[in-house]
Amino acid sequence: MMRKALLLAACSTALVISGCGKDGGSGGSGAEVTNTEYPEQVFWGDTHLHTDNSIDAFGFGNRLDTEAALRFAKGEEVTATKGEKAKLSRPLDFLVIADHSDAVGATKALYEAPRIALLGNDFLLRWYDMMHESDEGSLAVTAELIDGAAAGTLPEGLFDPEESADRIKSLWTEHGEKLDEYNEPGKFTAFHGFEYTPMPGGDNLHRVVMFRDGGDKTGTMLPFASFDAGDPEQLWAYMAAYEKSTGGKVLAIPHNSNVSNGRMFAMNKLDGSPIDEAYIKTRALREPIVEVTQIKGDSESHPFLSPNDEFADFGDAGWDKCNLSCGKDMPPESYGGSYAREALKRGLEFTLKIGANPFKFGMIGSTDSHTSLATADENNFYGKHSGNEINNKDRALAPQNLGTRRGRFGWHYLSSGYAAVWATSNTREAIFDAMMRREVYATTGPRMQVRFFGGFDFTEDDTADLVKTGYAKGVPMGGDLSGGDGKAPTFLISALMDPESANLDRIQVVKGWVDSSGKSYEKIYNISWSSPDSRKVGADGKLDAVGNTVDLTKGTWENNIGAPELTTWWQDPDFDAAQNAFYYVRVLEIPTPTWPVYDALKFGLTLPDDVIKIQQERAYSSPIWYTPAATTS
Amino acid sequence: MKLLKEPLVHFLGGALLVFAFFWATGSNRDPADYEITIGESDVARLRTGWVQNFRRPPTQDELDGLIDQEIKEEIYYREALRLGLDRNDPLIRRRLFTKMRFLDNQEDAEDNPSDALLQKWLDDHPDKYALSSVYDLEQVYLGQDPEPSTLAQLDDLNQGTVEPNTIRQPISLPAKLVQTEASQITRQFGERFAAKLSTLPVGQWQGPVESGFGQHFVKVTAKIPGKAPALEDVRKSVTNDWQAAQTARLEEAAFGKYRKQYDIKVSGRE
Repeated sequence: MMRKALLLAACSTALVISGCGKDGGSGGSGAEVTNTEYPEQVFWGDTHLHTDNSIDAFGFGNRLDTEAALRFAKGEEVTATKGEKAKLSRPLDFLVIADHSDAVGATKALYEAPRIALLGNDFLLRWYDMMHESDEGSLAVTAELIDGAAAGTLPEGLFDPEESADRIKSLWTEHGEKLDEYNEPGKFTAFHGFEYTPMPGGDNLHRVVMFRDGGDKTGTMLPFASFDAGDPEQLWAYMAAYEKSTGGKVLAIPHNSNVSNGRMFAMNKLDGSPIDEAYIKTRALREPIVEVTQIKGDSESHPFLSPNDEFADFGDAGWDKCNLSCGKDMPPESYGGSYAREALKRGLEFTLKIGANPFKFGMIGSTDSHTSLATADENNFYGKHSGNEINNKDRALAPQNLGTRRGRFGWHYLSSGYAAVWATSNTREAIFDAMMRREVYATTGPRMQVRFFGGFDFTEDDTADLVKTGYAKGVPMGGDLSGGDGKAPTFLISALMDPESANLDRIQVVKGWVDSSGKSYEKIYNISWSSPDSRKVGADGKLDAVGNTVDLTKGTWENNIGAPELTTWWQDPDFDAAQNAFYYVRVLEIPTPTWPVYDALKFGLTLPDDVIKIQQERAYSSPIWYTPAATTS
Repeated sequence: MKLLKEPLVHFLGGALLVFAFFWATGSNRDPADYEITIGESDVARLRTGWVQNFRRPPTQDELDGLIDQEIKEEIYYREALRLGLDRNDPLIRRRLFTKMRFLDNQEDAEDNPSDALLQKWLDDHPDKYALSSVYDLEQVYLGQDPEPSTLAQLDDLNQGTVEPNTIRQPISLPAKLVQTEASQITRQFGERFAAKLSTLPVGQWQGPVESGFGQHFVKVTAKIPGKAPALEDVRKSVTNDWQAAQTARLEEAAFGKYRKQYDIKVSGRE
C-alpha cells in the first residue's frame, strides 16, 4: 500500500513540476464572430485525437503534447515523434483532443517518475525499465497494459482514479488552459474533451466526450474514468451532473462499434435487461452522433448485413473477425449491434415498439490517431501510433494489434477520417450545436461538400438554388420529417468534389424502414452518377462501375472519369406513409490508391495480393427520419 | 636503504597506511556525509504526501513507517552514489538528462511577454501573419476538359461580344467573389487556383486557369495585397508562437552554454 502511495506521490510531483510552465495566454483575438443566417460553410475537424497524455499513446512512444497537436491541426509544421517534419496539406477548422480518461497521464508520469520511487514495486519497476530501455520495451508495456485492462488482470488499484486525482487534476487544468489559449473563435476551435474507454471482455464500448465550454466550466470536474464505471449509463449520469452543476453542455460520440462484438448497439442494456423508455431518451439526448469511420476500420455497413450492397465492405477487412483486444471472436450474428446502418434500422424498430429511438444518430468520421497528428490523407498518413509513423517502412505489412498479434496487419488500418459540420460559424458554440442537431457528415478523408435536404414539396427546379430552397422548404441532414399527407418525401442532394482529391462516382440514398410487424429493411438507390449517358442501372439494380484509372506504379489516378459535382432531386419511389423510415446519403469517389501503395513506392516494397490497394473514398451523411404523423419519434 | 630512514618518508608511509586502513574498513568518513536529519519540514512533506494519496492524515505508526522508509531510501541512495552506481547506468543517465533539460527551460522564461516583445516578433515574421490578399473576381467554369472552341472564346469575353453565362458550365461555385480572402479562395477552389491568382493582371478575362474542379476563365477586378496586421488582430497566434519559440530557444541556449565548455572529438568528423 505504501509503495503505491509513494509511486503516486512521485508521479503527481513529476506532473506538477512539468505542469508549472507558462500560464494562460492573454486576451482573445478581439474581433466578434458573426453567425451566418444559415450554415453556409462546412467546417472540417477531428473529434478524436490522442496525445502523449493517453496511457497507450505515450507507451507507443508518442512524445508530442497538447500544444503540438493543436499546432499541427491548425496547419503548422511540427516534428513528429519519430523525427519527420509533419504538416497537413490543409489546416483543420476544429479539434477535439480526446485522451483516454482512464489513468490519463499515467504512463508519462511513470516514465518521468524518479526510479527510486519504484524500487520495491516489482510490477511497476519492470514496466519502468522496459519503457526506458527501448521502443520495443515501451510497446510491450503498452500491449500488456491494454491486454491486462481488457482481461481485468492488472493489479488491483493500479491506476485507481481516486488516488491519482491530484495528478489528473493538474494535468486536466494545464491541458485545458492550453486549449483555451489556442481556441480562436472564427479561426480555429479547440474543444475540451476526453475519451471514456470501457471494454468489458475486450468488447469496445468507447465514447469520445466533448464539451461546448471552456476551462472555467470543464475545470470544475475531472474526466470520467471507466475503470470503476464501465456502464455508459454511468457516463450519461456524469454528463447530466456536469450540465447541472456548470450550466454547460456536453455530448458523447460512440465509435468503433465494429469491434464491440455486437454490444455498441445491442437490443439490451449493458446488464442484459431490456431497453426501456428512460434509457432511450437519455441515450438519444447524450449521443446525437456516432463516429462511423476511423483508423480502426469503418462501421457503416457490412456485407453480411447488406448482401445487396456491393460497397458495404469498405474498411471491414481485419476488423470483423475479433473484438478490440482480439481476445474474442465475433460471429456474424453479432454484427447487427456493430454496424451503424443496422443500428439505425434497430432504432426504427424501437420507435415502433416503444415510441422512442435510442439510435437516432448522425454520422461523422475522425482519426483516433495516437500520434498527436490528425492525418487522414492517404499520401500523408502518420499511422495509428508513433511506432507506425510515416518513416517506418515495415508498418504496412507488420502484424499489429494490441497484444495478440492475431489477424490484423498494418494495411488493415485506414487513413480515415474527418468530421464535416455545417455550422453558422467556426466557434465552439456553433459547431457543438450543429452536432447536437446532427447537421454533420462523415468522410473517409477527402473533403467533399455534401448537401442533403428533405421535405415534401421540393421540385426538380429547386436544385437551381439548392441550399436556400433546402433550408426554406425542408430540413437539412440530421432533421425530421413528419406528416406530409401521404406524399412521398422529396430530397435535394448535391456533392461537390474535394478540389485537392478525386472526382465523384455517384450519390446513393440508403433507405431503412420498418413494417407493421416490426421487421426492418434497407434498400440502396443510385440517384446521381457521372457519365449518365453511358452508365446504366442493370436489372439487378446495380449501376455500371465508374471504371478505374489508378496507376499503381506511380500512385496516381486521372480525373478523366467521374464528375466534379453531382446535383439532383429525388423522390422516394417506394414510399409507404405508414412506415417509419430514414434516408441517408452515401457519396463515392472514383477509385484511388490506398496508403500502403504510397509506402510501397517510397520504400520499394512488394505488397502481397491480399493487401487492398485501390479503394473508393466516401462520405456518409447524417440521416433524415420520416415518422408517420400518429407516432412520436 | 637510506631513504627508509627519512622522517618524511615515514610520515607519508604512515599516512598511506592510515588511508589503506580506512579504505579497507570503510571507515574513512566525513561525519557530515553520515548525518541524516529528518526535520520538521521533512515530516510535514511526508504527511502532506500521505494526505494527498489517502485523504486523511497518517496515524503515528504510519508516519513512523514513512520516516523509516525515508531514512532507508536516503541511506541506500548515498551508498549507491559511493559505489558509483549512478555511473554508466543508461536509465539514470536518461533521467538526469531529462531533468537538466527541464531545469534549463525554466531559466529566463518569460511567462507574460510584453506587447513590445510580441510586436517585435510580429515585425520579424511578416509573412507568417500577413493578412490574406483580398480579391474581387469573376470566374466562368469551363468543365474538366473544355473544347478548343470554348477556350477560343476568351477574346470574345474581353470584347464583350459573349456573355459569361453562355459559356459557363454548371457547378455550385460562386460566379463572383467580392472582398474575398485568398485563404478562403484556396479553401473553395484549391491551392493551384489561388496561387495562380496573384499572377493575373487586373481588369481582364484570363485563362484557362486550372483548379481542382477543372478549367476556368477568371477576371480579377480588384486585388488588395495582404498587409501586416495590427498586433491586436493576431495577438493569440503571436503569443502562442512566441511562447513555443521561446521554449525551443531557451533549450538551445542552455545547451549551448554547456556545450561550449567541452572539447568534443568525433572520429571521422572534422
